[in-house]
Amino acid sequence: MTDLAIDIRGVTKRYAEHVAVRDLSLQVPRGAVYGLLGPNGAGKTSTIRMILDIIAPDQGTITLFGQKHTDTGVLDRVGYLPEERGLYKKMKVREVLKFLAQLKGLPAATADVRIDAWMERMSLKTADKDWGNSKVDELSRGMQQKVQFIGTLLHDPELVILDEPFSGLDPVNAQALKDTIVELKTRGRTVIFSTHIMDNAEKLCDSVCIIAKGQKVLDGSVSDVKAANAGNTVAVAFDGAPGTAVEAILRDTSLVAHVDGQNRILELELAQGASSGVLLQRLVAAGASLQRFERVQPSLHRIFLEKVGATGVEAGMSGHG
Amino acid sequence: MGKLKAIIMREYLERVRTKWFVIATLLGPIMFIALTVLPVLFVSRTKAAVTSSNITIIDATGLALADRVITELKDTAGVRPQVSLVSAAEVAAAESLATTAVMAKQREGYLVLDSSTIAGKAARYAGRNTSTLPDMRRISNAVENAVLNMRLEKEGISAARVDSLTKVDIRFEKTQLSEKGREKSGVATSIIGLMMSLLLYMVLLLYGQTVLRSVIEEKSTRVAEVVISSVRPEMLMAGKIIGIGCVAMTQLVVWIGSSAWIGSTLAPMLLKRNAAASARTDLATAAQTTDILSSLPSFSIGFLLAIVLYFVLGYVFYACLYAAVGSTVNSESEAQQAATPVAMLLILSAIFIQPVALAPQSTLSVVMSMLPFSAPIMMPMRMSITSVPPWQVAASLAGTTLACVAAIWFSARIYRVGLLMYGKRPTIGELFKWLKYS
Repeated sequence: MTDLAIDIRGVTKRYAEHVAVRDLSLQVPRGAVYGLLGPNGAGKTSTIRMILDIIAPDQGTITLFGQKHTDTGVLDRVGYLPEERGLYKKMKVREVLKFLAQLKGLPAATADVRIDAWMERMSLKTADKDWGNSKVDELSRGMQQKVQFIGTLLHDPELVILDEPFSGLDPVNAQALKDTIVELKTRGRTVIFSTHIMDNAEKLCDSVCIIAKGQKVLDGSVSDVKAANAGNTVAVAFDGAPGTAVEAILRDTSLVAHVDGQNRILELELAQGASSGVLLQRLVAAGASLQRFERVQPSLHRIFLEKVGATGVEAGMSGHG
Repeated sequence: MGKLKAIIMREYLERVRTKWFVIATLLGPIMFIALTVLPVLFVSRTKAAVTSSNITIIDATGLALADRVITELKDTAGVRPQVSLVSAAEVAAAESLATTAVMAKQREGYLVLDSSTIAGKAARYAGRNTSTLPDMRRISNAVENAVLNMRLEKEGISAARVDSLTKVDIRFEKTQLSEKGREKSGVATSIIGLMMSLLLYMVLLLYGQTVLRSVIEEKSTRVAEVVISSVRPEMLMAGKIIGIGCVAMTQLVVWIGSSAWIGSTLAPMLLKRNAAASARTDLATAAQTTDILSSLPSFSIGFLLAIVLYFVLGYVFYACLYAAVGSTVNSESEAQQAATPVAMLLILSAIFIQPVALAPQSTLSVVMSMLPFSAPIMMPMRMSITSVPPWQVAASLAGTTLACVAAIWFSARIYRVGLLMYGKRPTIGELFKWLKYS
């Protein structure tokens, strides 16, 4: 018995033209909520597919619950929500769910009971209407997403793998998903999800792994990651507009390496060798009326951008969603 | 195994429950009835109507020929012609009277018998039903027989003797001979062989394309990824092919079973009832149909086994190829083009059905029943029409089995990779690369 839900060691996956995942190792402890972060095309989906034995790695080993992931029955303990959702459109909702449960080795009778409970919980089965007897393509997209989510969790998996679970969700469903992830955690389940929405990762995850171009950039618990990257970021807010003298200080590259403005609050990344004390003195001397001056832990978003670099991020992608 | 069963059951139930399947399955026997029983029933429709006895016979022969005609009409319904015995001079007056009766719809028509009738030359009929051939044939037969009987009796042969002498009803039985001696066939078995190979061709094409569409549906709705996160792609493909194969089997069993029942029970029953009521000339047509029908259940167990074997092998071969094609495309419109090579193999087989049926022992026929892609259609047909040397059957079965194994191996590899590939369709070169992926 190991306390690792997932143990990936030295995994590489090559395709004809490129290397999707290069020598990746990561460990996910049982009961953790784990975020797999990275820009589009970083190798998140390839990694997840290898964990699920959908594709085979060219090198390296993958272990789930201390067993080889290709062993019989191991994948029955895993629930998977792919990035591209899909169900049999012409089938009745209940039949689809029963089928998905049977594929995980759940007996049909047990599945029936659980389907009812889940359908009620997701308000797909109410006093007025039981959507279970409707065909999938009669459901709205939001409802289909709920059905798919039920299908992922129906066999009560110990490990839940969600690939970009927040994409395409409206705020209500996104919140419901967050609540469910928290609930899974309290019940001792392990959740790993990929995302490029850093806010969600920061709020939900115990640990994260950032990958870019198929390689691991960093990993560890969220607090460790933040602590390791703390110390050179200062949050500053002014009363009113800063004067030209203040702006000149902010542009001084010997002092400030990078300014990230969000509304009235600026996140300043100090230049190499510069200290926050010097910056504060200079700002006060320049007559700035400071509302806030605070050394902060950088957000995951900040760390992500710093580590992956703007070049690793495709145009149009934002850390805030 | 429970998972494979779940996949098979899903494929099977989702299809068997559709309206399309129910309609197509019921349509089979209906078509068969249309092709076999209806023509027989049609024969009964061409029987002379009972009302064709409702006529006036103007007898100017002076020899009571009318009575003999009435006997020959052999009425069962009790409608008797009205006889008007007249002299030759009175015929015109009698005719105008009879015309009035026909116009008033009291009679169907009137028949004039005179001295030229006795001479065996002419009789006249006028009426509303002159364009109804069976009615006319019935009346003219009756007149001819009446004259014949009259002449024979004149020669001193009794009426009973006349009856037994003139009753000749030969059933003409045909057996085909070839350089190998007696062949078991005739026209009837070759028609059945032809029908069966067409049926096999239809089912292979239909259900091959069902597999194709099913793979594309799973791929394009992205449900495939969920499924293969639980089971191996090979199992999904196997379950799909087996499930759809069971659907095809169900349909075939219903079709063949109901056809056999219609052929062996229903049709002969109808024919018998029909034969009892119909005239002698109609019997020949009816007998021909009986010929075709009665040769249906005469196939041996070995032959039926061969059909099932060829169907299974042919289905697996084509289903695998269609599954492989389905996994390489993104949409159904793309699939039609990509599946052309596979469809061509089937169509090529279909084109040769007729030449092979007409000359089942020719070199072309032997070759077509040996090639793995056409053997499942050609060999059962040849076996039903002619006697095929056992070594040919064995060789063709072995070849088809080998081709099936190759198709399974090839398709499983293409399918596994193709199922997760979206975007551009792979080239032939890329497909070969896929085969090498572990």
